[in-house]
Amino acid sequence: MRNSHPVVIFIGQPNCGKSTLFNAIAGYKAEISNFPGTTVKHTHSIVNIEGRLLNVIDLPGTYSLNPSEPAEKVVLTHLFQERPDLIINVADASTLGRSLELTLELRELEYPMVVALNMVDLAEKKGITFDSSKLEKTLGVKVIPTIAAHGRGIKELLEAAFYCLDEGCPVSSVRWSKDVEEEIAHLAGQIPADFCIVANRRFTAIKLIEAGQQFCGDFLADVDSSLKDTVDRVKGNIEKKRSAPAYEVISAERHHLALKISEQCSRVQRGRHLTWDKRLDSVLMHPVLGYPLLAAIFLAFFFLIFKIGNPLEGALLRPFSSLRSSLSAILGSGLLFHLADGLLQGIGGGVAIVLPYLFPLLFLMAFLEDLGYLSRAGFLLDTFMHRIGLHGKSVSPFILGFGCNVPAILSTRTLESRRDRVITSLLIPFIPCSARTTIILALVAFYLGPLWALGFYILNILIVAGIGRILTFFFKTPSPGLILEIPTLKLPSLGNMFRKTYFQLKSFLIFAWPILIVGSIALSMFQFLSLDRLFNAILSPLVVYGLGLPRELGVTLIFGFLRKELSLVMMLQALGVDYKSVLTVISREQIVIFTAFVSFFIPCLSTFAVLWKEIGKKVAFLSAGLSVATALLISIIIRLIV
Amino acid sequence: MWIINLKSTAKKTMNLYQAPRNRQLKIVSILGGEGVRRRLFALGFHKDDLIEVDSRAILKGPLLVKNLTSDMSVAIGRGIALKILVEIGPDEK
Repeated sequence: MRNSHPVVIFIGQPNCGKSTLFNAIAGYKAEISNFPGTTVKHTHSIVNIEGRLLNVIDLPGTYSLNPSEPAEKVVLTHLFQERPDLIINVADASTLGRSLELTLELRELEYPMVVALNMVDLAEKKGITFDSSKLEKTLGVKVIPTIAAHGRGIKELLEAAFYCLDEGCPVSSVRWSKDVEEEIAHLAGQIPADFCIVANRRFTAIKLIEAGQQFCGDFLADVDSSLKDTVDRVKGNIEKKRSAPAYEVISAERHHLALKISEQCSRVQRGRHLTWDKRLDSVLMHPVLGYPLLAAIFLAFFFLIFKIGNPLEGALLRPFSSLRSSLSAILGSGLLFHLADGLLQGIGGGVAIVLPYLFPLLFLMAFLEDLGYLSRAGFLLDTFMHRIGLHGKSVSPFILGFGCNVPAILSTRTLESRRDRVITSLLIPFIPCSARTTIILALVAFYLGPLWALGFYILNILIVAGIGRILTFFFKTPSPGLILEIPTLKLPSLGNMFRKTYFQLKSFLIFAWPILIVGSIALSMFQFLSLDRLFNAILSPLVVYGLGLPRELGVTLIFGFLRKELSLVMMLQALGVDYKSVLTVISREQIVIFTAFVSFFIPCLSTFAVLWKEIGKKVAFLSAGLSVATALLISIIIRLIV
Repeated sequence: MWIINLKSTAKKTMNLYQAPRNRQLKIVSILGGEGVRRRLFALGFHKDDLIEVDSRAILKGPLLVKNLTSDMSVAIGRGIALKILVEIGPDEK
């Protein structure tokens, strides 16, 4: 992707408004959120800014250059491989002391840099005022105050950026305490000329000391054993001088320097008065009131989605069914019709999920996320997540799972440990996505009443909890525990919510939809070749004796794997009745068993594929096995008790 | 008699989970593994920092901890809070 255009990298800590700023400059191409670490994929785009073509990259939010989550590792790769022509460091003015830590670390790179001091309005509200020229002098880089959400300061920022690109603006790194600096200088001098030097010798030396395994620490001994000895000796010296691990000493140096600069360059008049967000927060995060509020918010959330989704789905599918009947009139019932029908069903199925259910869900999620509520939900639910061996950070992927499991599994990239990612990804397929919810609503709620459907949901959540509990037995290493930033509550902007929704939808459109269409065509062929009888025969021991269902339903279980939401249509087709008269052929008990089996049994093909791609083949197969076993067990238990 | 007691408690080290709410606290040390320590450092929580516990979730849930110097709030799970040792801060009377 790299070409002659200057490379400009946007980098900042999570929630600093970096993506908003990036969007204000580069158009609507990056994702924004108020939940730490959601810009997991970086955006790489050539943009025309005031007549100049720039290669701008929006990196995921990162707290430091010592990554702990997979999402953060992207940052390092980019900084090191793609030596940028300019870094635009976005710093949150309202938490300057913390933001400057990354700024100082970036300065160590000595790449040309401009600091966008963002959200100065929020800082002002907190009673913080800045001396930005003093800050500029102390940091030795240009500092431009901005309010990205209102587009303020953007022009000045661009001017500064162009100035740096044209005239160059040399950045030199700050020096730390003498005792630490001596050791770093010593190590920097020892690095051989043929060693891969990132940015400069001092930066390379610092990373060799503090980054441990992440910065070629693992194979340093193989590459250069004498350098490894020097690194170990230098680390030992620092540890002896400060009686703390070397990585802590270096991190503390930056921390204290950042706090010192922040104190020198800003004044805080902190009143004891409560602002609206503090007052709201004291209710939202209240140890008792927080929970009924959480429940109410999510109930309203799902109610709204299905209130919007249900009628919309019907309206959207109507043209498809009329198209289908005209197709059958033109093409007859040959191979061509079945191919076209499969294609049509696949496209229609996607439309019927995306517009009515996924879009409203993602949009409302974006609202809660940008508001800052999702991390608060993480705080409130952490204790329950602990019972199933996870922690509060997994809450957000789970909620996404109610829309579609595919983006939910993709979003587990924000979890630090592989253990947490694997467990969360194994549990997500048990969350009833919108496709399965339509089945639950259409069968259970319609034939047995809404209370049954609610009961079904509760059962579902209990099953997720139970399986989580069991899974933790097999993952002996404990979860690293919750450390989650709770960002200030912000009023979300409509534009940002749309952009974010678009990005999440894209993962469904690019990944899940094609699979859905292929699956649909396969199914159509299947019918054309009349393989359903064969499958009914093969599956009849399971379907008839195991589950107590009519033999004709065997084939719908296969369909469940390819396309969950089709199970309902297929069931009607297999039984040869219309929706209203289902009860004439099967009993209400059988409906419950069928729904339970279909919703738990095997993640759909798209989910299976994304599991394979994201977490690995083994986990994908484990997930499939786990769901088949669970579906069987639950259905048989239901059969025995109902 | 109780004045002496108060003085002695003022310097008592405790883990963050036991610490009282809405009081200025000073981080005395951060125990625990390298991974946890690194993550806390990255979020700007270091030894000698002044912090405050703003809220505490029910059923052994996490704490809502604010760093008073950088004005940043973080949810910290119980397991990690147990490994952060604090004392009552210098500005508390």
